[in-house]
Amino acid sequence: MALLKREEWQGFVRDVDWSYRYVDDEAVFPEWLSGTGKVPREAWRAWEESYKVSYPEYVATQREKEAAVYAVKAALQRSSAFDSLSEGWKSATKMHFGGVALVEYAAVLAELKMARFGLNGSWRNMATFGQLDELRHAAITTFFGHEFVGKDAQYDWTQKTFHTNDWVAISLRNLFDAMMTSSNVVDIAIELPLTFETGFTNLQFVALAADALASGDVNFANMISSIQTDEARHSQQGGPTLEILVEHDPVRAQWVVDKAFWGSARAFAALTGPAMDYYTPLEHRKQSYREFMEEWIIDQFVHTLEQYGLKKPWYWDEFMRGLDIWHHGLHMGLWFWRPTIWWRPMAAVSPDERAWLVEKYPNWEKVYGDKWDVIIDNVNANNMEATLPETLPWLCSTCHLPACNAIQSRDGTWRVRDIPLSYDGRTYHFCTHGCRQIFWKDRDNVNHETLIDRFLAGQIQPMDVGGILGYMGLTPEVMGDDPDYEAWTKDYAGRPADGIAAAPPVGTAPVGTAPVGTAQS
Amino acid sequence: MTAELGAELGAEDRAPELVPLNAIFATDFVQILVPVTTANTMAEVAAAVAHHVEGKRVRALPYDKVVIYQGERLPGEMTVAAAGIKPLDHVTVEYDIPEQS
Repeated sequence: MALLKREEWQGFVRDVDWSYRYVDDEAVFPEWLSGTGKVPREAWRAWEESYKVSYPEYVATQREKEAAVYAVKAALQRSSAFDSLSEGWKSATKMHFGGVALVEYAAVLAELKMARFGLNGSWRNMATFGQLDELRHAAITTFFGHEFVGKDAQYDWTQKTFHTNDWVAISLRNLFDAMMTSSNVVDIAIELPLTFETGFTNLQFVALAADALASGDVNFANMISSIQTDEARHSQQGGPTLEILVEHDPVRAQWVVDKAFWGSARAFAALTGPAMDYYTPLEHRKQSYREFMEEWIIDQFVHTLEQYGLKKPWYWDEFMRGLDIWHHGLHMGLWFWRPTIWWRPMAAVSPDERAWLVEKYPNWEKVYGDKWDVIIDNVNANNMEATLPETLPWLCSTCHLPACNAIQSRDGTWRVRDIPLSYDGRTYHFCTHGCRQIFWKDRDNVNHETLIDRFLAGQIQPMDVGGILGYMGLTPEVMGDDPDYEAWTKDYAGRPADGIAAAPPVGTAPVGTAPVGTAQS
Repeated sequence: MTAELGAELGAEDRAPELVPLNAIFATDFVQILVPVTTANTMAEVAAAVAHHVEGKRVRALPYDKVVIYQGERLPGEMTVAAAGIKPLDHVTVEYDIPEQS
């Protein structure tokens, strides 16, 4: 018997469904998992993916991709390519491996949820391929990062990060649990494939690949480029889902898109922003983070909103202003609290690097230059105590990142402002108005406790810097430190340095986080 | 006995209690956690906040410091209890720079 051509059978099998005899539809597709909401059940029959693939085609293509990526890896394993990478670039990869490897695994679970509870057979088929994609991504990312553990213990956090209570891990768990683990499949399809994958993974997987190649990390560029080819296919689950939701419940559609975009933007400001504008060596930077965001994210996102008849989010002006602020503040926070992270953050504020920053961000010196100058003067005075933290940064109750976003005042100065909310008998603090609004609208959801909440509740013992580092899983051989202080401070050596902290007498214990007037631990 | 009568001591008459604060020092780039107690004066609160920032990220200036709470400048001798500052409240600490400078 001759085989039918794909186009002769695929239209029939791609959305095969069942007629139930002894259960009703709600039992098979319960609302809390399938999330049809105001959309009539029959409306989902119109769901159609734009890129169709059969299982044999999928397997053949994936096999080729795997063979190619592992061939490059095998060839480079025998070279000394890794040893010639800059510490700054290595830090960018450590952030990526630790921050992404197990998010890929969480995405397996999200795709599996859509593969089971998706409201159309085509959607479920697409998600089945999607979960196979994500399983490959989790495996490949973990495997590639693991290769370097023998050379540098910080790469152990490829696998370890999400099993710790490090504040970066808590922040990412909070975002991705909301996006993937606790959502119904309609919200997942819009938050994960549509907003996160079509938008932000472009930034991490395409744009960062350019920096990787420029930095000489062919292996990393090869890995993330291979992953991105899958994203481009399975991310298409978002479009048809949003199209149907917009038609029947545009208010919900707008809210889900807005929330996912904001959460993704905050996370990428922390992870991709410092990697692009500070850790990537100056001579290898292709574009600034802001330029990447404008080219790869914003134009596309605005186009998507228009395409589906949605509006720009209510926070748009605050988000756009944040492109000049968020990741610079977070970089300074990551650097100052460097013992709490699993990579070696490069301050990267030498005169040449500052000139580049000012070219890309004209207000950079006004907002951050004075703070870095004090830090530089302390390093040059060999007063390293003054460059290390003795308390926690305040972590936003929505994004769990340090509240470090300066706002320009009417008099032209830049100040960080408190953005509080009193609710249910306590006061919460936020990094932005966007985070506060999302918290308020989502207040009945279960939210992770921030590290500050945990500390004040007595969950972290002893209540000092050592206790906090232990709680976060940091050990001395992994704790981050600047890999090369001299590189960014030597040009300032010998200049007058008034108003810096006095070096503590030898043998003085750190002040810790105990209140004033109490015994120090 | 007072407990039986339901008359609780005022915060200023009880043993010092922990008051963790959200604080910003002058032009610093980040909000920070600063634990104080109900018995601390505003001068002590200002010093506690400044300890984490002054000369470390914000260049020290030769001026007194003042605690600003809910838009009000609080006197240096006032205690946390007397000011009504509660756990998780926010304070800003600024240099008290004379008008002419």
